[in-house]
Amino acid sequence: MSEHILSTCGLTMRFGGVTAVDNVDFNLRDGELRCLLGPNGAGKSTFFKCLTGQLTPTEGKVTFSGQDITGALTHDIVKKGVGIKTQVPNVFDGITAYENVRLSARRKHLKPMAKELTMKTLERCGITHLAKREVGLLSHGQRQLVELAMVLAGEPKLILLDEPAAGMTGDERDRLAQLVLESARSAAVVVVEHDMAFIRQIAKFVTVFNRGAIFREAMIDDIMQDREVQEIYLGKQANAA
Amino acid sequence: MEKPVTRDPGFYVMVAIGLAVMFIAPVMLDLFTIMQITQYVVLSVFALSLGYIWGFGGILSFGQAAFFGLGAYTFAVASINMGSTTIPMVLAFIIPTIFGAALGYFMFYGRLSDVYLGVVTLVVALIFWKLINHTAGPEYAIGEARLGGFNGIPSIPTLHIPGDPGAWLDPGQMFQVFMGFLIVVYVALRFLIASDFGRVSVGIRENETRASLLGYDVRKQKVIVFAIGGGIAGVAGAMWATYQAFIDPNSVSMEMSAKALVWVMAGGVGTLVGPIIGCILLQWLTLQLGTVDVVNSIAVLGAIMMVLVLALPKGIVPTTQSLLLGGYILWKRNHGSAMPGKAVKE
Ligand SMILES: Nc1ncnc2c1ncn2[C@@H]1O[C@H](COP(=O)(O)OP(=O)(O)OP(=O)(O)O)[C@@H](O)[C@H]1O
Ligand SMILES: [Mg+2]
Repeated sequence: MSEHILSTCGLTMRFGGVTAVDNVDFNLRDGELRCLLGPNGAGKSTFFKCLTGQLTPTEGKVTFSGQDITGALTHDIVKKGVGIKTQVPNVFDGITAYENVRLSARRKHLKPMAKELTMKTLERCGITHLAKREVGLLSHGQRQLVELAMVLAGEPKLILLDEPAAGMTGDERDRLAQLVLESARSAAVVVVEHDMAFIRQIAKFVTVFNRGAIFREAMIDDIMQDREVQEIYLGKQANAA
Repeated sequence: MEKPVTRDPGFYVMVAIGLAVMFIAPVMLDLFTIMQITQYVVLSVFALSLGYIWGFGGILSFGQAAFFGLGAYTFAVASINMGSTTIPMVLAFIIPTIFGAALGYFMFYGRLSDVYLGVVTLVVALIFWKLINHTAGPEYAIGEARLGGFNGIPSIPTLHIPGDPGAWLDPGQMFQVFMGFLIVVYVALRFLIASDFGRVSVGIRENETRASLLGYDVRKQKVIVFAIGGGIAGVAGAMWATYQAFIDPNSVSMEMSAKALVWVMAGGVGTLVGPIIGCILLQWLTLQLGTVDVVNSIAVLGAIMMVLVLALPKGIVPTTQSLLLGGYILWKRNHGSAMPGKAVKE
């Protein structure tokens, strides 16, 4: 039990007649890097929202670090050590990238330490040159990096990344892959991504969602070979890649 | 926004202008004009209360006059009973603050959406207005103060020097004290907004979801901002009460709430100078229009408002700022030096 930093038991989220997350038992070891795949509408983002208190699951239980966090408030869950980059970037548009990241670092740290951590994180994410720019005016890929920096500056024990590579240039994506691998040394990471080139750079163990339920869990190579998985999802990309 | 207040030249300019007006106006202007502009000063404090919660907390209150009126009535009742104005002035801050905290707790912890928040604040102000209107009978008295219903409360004591109820302020002194209040409120808000508390509020205004995803309790933060705004509006109400020596339910009316919204919108949401300028400009306009009897001043004000929103959607102050910045960039370019870059402007 305690070796799992995150586990869900029978997690279900229904919207009226739609079951977006269907009886999911998901277990993540401390320090593990997991990729979460699945076709559009498979329920990946909804699953993340249930984990972070943005949605209250209809049924089931979420345990983080041995504590029941089902239905807890978002900020309380985050304070326990969960950081999330959402699919649609949630950043503070009207203020600078620096201030965006600093507000994240400042929650746990005193001013000077927060400043230092902010500079370090901007550097790590390769966006020091964007520090003084208003985030609302940045490109999609740059905003993704700012949001990632905000997540990392919160020093979470569990990092959830929902389609972090979307809108990124090749260089930005390579850096992102490095960052994810690096972060996985000090935290557990779950990455949702459609970009197969990116997935190949980082993936080891993979969970595939389909129609809200876990369809397959296996090593990436096996997943790539899996006929049924290809049918539901990878088909086109696997052939193209 | 990241520059500390103490390193922003604009801040010193504003305070200097304030101090200059405070000390020079009573010497230069006649009594009547002084009393006129005292009105603007009081209403500017009220405008700041809404400018703060809206522009720096993302809370749009359609009933800010509830706090203005609560402060006014608190001051009136307390000062009539106590025969002094010092403690009543403090109460006029504390009671609306507490009321704001309580109402805010209900609204924000109850997770009301923005639309309902607007409705609730509006309704609270309306209820307050209704209640006061119904207190005309002699049975509605708190101590020696009769609430007077729609007739209002007359003979509210004039502000005096703390500790010496005999030492009333003359209109010139009252003006100076009120200017002092305005400057203090402005400076305090500037520092509050630049503090980490204030920056988190701005973050919440920008993106509530992200603020909570960073681990900040959005509800708590908003309750505090809302309560502070209530307290400031309360002080403005007390200033209004003692300035007029009279208060009636108009101070809680929809018109009062609407005026504050118009000032802030016209001056510029997200600035502090904007609401002050919007207030002075539109009050002055209303006054001018009032002397012309042909037209309904409210209707004209509404028309002006619509024109402003269409022509200057960001408000007077932000538009002027970007015009100045644009001019500066052009000037720089014409003089062959580099552009100031894409750094964020204040
Ligand atoms: N708030 C909501 N109300 C109703 N239905 C919703 C809501 N949010 C998601 N859904 C539905 O739940 C299902 C899962 O959506 P979700 O966004 O979690 O999928 P996803 O796996 O993240 O897809 P994508 O890869 O396109 O991001 C979809 O059918 C979606 O329409
Ligand atoms: Mg999604």
